[in-house]
Amino acid sequence: MNKIWIGLLAGLILGAVDGATAWFYPETKNLLAGIMVGSSIKGMVVGILSGWFARKVQSTGWGIAVGAAVGLLFAFLVAATDTVNGRHPYLEIMFPGFVVGAIIGFLTQKMGATPMKRQEL
Amino acid sequence: MELSDSVLAHLRHVAALPDLSGTRYELESEIGRGGLGVVYQALDRELDRRVALKVMDAALAGEARLIARLEHPAVVPVYDTGSLPDGRTFYAMKLVGGARLDRYIAGNPSLAERLRAMRRIGEALAFAHTRGVIHRDLKPQNVMVGEFGEVYVMDWGVEAVAGTPAFRAPDAHLDQRSDIYALGALFQFVLPAAAPPALRAIVAKAMNHDPAERYPDVPAFLADLERFQEGSAVEAWREPWWHRLRRFGERNAVLLWLLTAYVVVKFLLFFLRKV
Amino acid sequence: MDADTSIGGHNAQFPSTQVSLLDAAASGLSGEALERVIALYWKPVYRFVRLKFRKDNEDAKDLTQGFFTSALQRDFFARFDPAKASFRTYLRMAVERFAANQHESLNRQKRGGDVRFEPIDNQAVAGESAEEIFEREWRRQLFSLAIEDLRAHCEQSGKQVHFSVFEAYDLTDADHPSYAELAARCGLPETTVTNHLAWARRMLRGFVTERLRGTTSGPRELHEEARRIWN
Repeated sequence: MNKIWIGLLAGLILGAVDGATAWFYPETKNLLAGIMVGSSIKGMVVGILSGWFARKVQSTGWGIAVGAAVGLLFAFLVAATDTVNGRHPYLEIMFPGFVVGAIIGFLTQKMGATPMKRQEL
Repeated sequence: MELSDSVLAHLRHVAALPDLSGTRYELESEIGRGGLGVVYQALDRELDRRVALKVMDAALAGEARLIARLEHPAVVPVYDTGSLPDGRTFYAMKLVGGARLDRYIAGNPSLAERLRAMRRIGEALAFAHTRGVIHRDLKPQNVMVGEFGEVYVMDWGVEAVAGTPAFRAPDAHLDQRSDIYALGALFQFVLPAAAPPALRAIVAKAMNHDPAERYPDVPAFLADLERFQEGSAVEAWREPWWHRLRRFGERNAVLLWLLTAYVVVKFLLFFLRKV
Repeated sequence: MDADTSIGGHNAQFPSTQVSLLDAAASGLSGEALERVIALYWKPVYRFVRLKFRKDNEDAKDLTQGFFTSALQRDFFARFDPAKASFRTYLRMAVERFAANQHESLNRQKRGGDVRFEPIDNQAVAGESAEEIFEREWRRQLFSLAIEDLRAHCEQSGKQVHFSVFEAYDLTDADHPSYAELAARCGLPETTVTNHLAWARRMLRGFVTERLRGTTSGPRELHEEARRIWN
């Protein structure tokens, strides 16, 4: 399985789990299904991008950094388009999104097949 | 005539010196005494380089010829052989610089460096075994570590002559398993005082009194070493569960930290929200 | 014949004339073989007896002579077991037993014998043990005999110059002269001096081996004793 698929799968699963934690917040409890779907999609996007990056650059540190950054970005986008109780839930979405992105970045670096480098002639 | 002590000592020394007049070598100094014979430093006049010259009785030369066929980075290469006028045989080989293993260990290298040396020694031994050569006298005095970390195992195939019994297996017959015993004893010598229990278990397994209980061959020994270095479970040692857990934690440290961070973040957000 | 019995290998100058002790004993010890054993061991036994049992010159001589006369009459060689010890050790222990027995009978003769038999092991010579003393004296005699063999050989083959060069350099107690000095002294080129020395030393080694061969049980003991000498 190549790294992009790893990223997609990891992003899907972790995104779903992250979305599911909304169950603990009463104000979002009833929107759980929608949140989980959205979070999963967000995760998959982050995963695809991280996986692509991991194919190009093999470095655990950079993988984590890039994953975290991308995760933060998309978390921001989601938070910006979302309103809960009249305010944007920046903190609640971006912070975890940052960490989840880091995890996805780490996993895409450690797992999956790297493309064979073309022989320099 | 009455020989004084000093003359006697002198005669013993000079009559033992090899007469290299018919050869291309020029005797320079004595380096040491191995199991088979004396080793001298000599100058190869034709190639203008220094070599080690091992001089032994012709009867013992057969074993040396077998070893001369071994080609391996950790086996000292043999360049030349010949007969001396007094009937002895000589072998010219690479002059190895560096320190003997006992001196190398006295310099207190790191555990990683010690393990690397052990691996090199083990690889040499494994190679020799596949060629049917048994060392029979493996001990720190027979291993040299060069300045770049290269390792040489020397004095092959000589049965230990009342040398260092600590490294000699209790077996009646000296074969590959007794070499493994010696390898374990060597490992014990190489390890620092406070060595991890997994490594001590490897030593114990290699030095088991019953040859059947030791590692079946050198590659098995090396594999266990490698497992230790990777952080996997070592075959020789059954570790307690908390030790296994800690090892798991060390191997997957990064991931565990990231997951912890996630949980912490979630908790903080949850409880701070209430405020 | 294994490779060992011709010590010179292809060197025709050194035919091996000696048989091992075991081979000699098997065919009934010849006079010559016996002579060689005594030639090697007489002096070491004498010195050993003097040092260890604190005998004076006459008593030591008597004891030594007595030992060789009696011991060599009684199956001495037949009872030697090479697996247990070297011939040298075996002989030394026989000397000690002999000396003890002599003292016993001496004591019985002197009524109220107050003559104490105290074999002192740690001698004045820097705390050497009896074995070490005996081995040292034995080695000394071995080399002395080999040097005499070399001298005789040089005389027979007209190589007196070789021997005198060897004598001047290797047998001197004083500081060794340089090769150049020696060459000047003998009126020879320096390369000749080094060649003569190398030849003489090589021959000496051969003669030592030959003397050793006639007083050891066989190749294995010969090897072991040779190793002790040259190492």
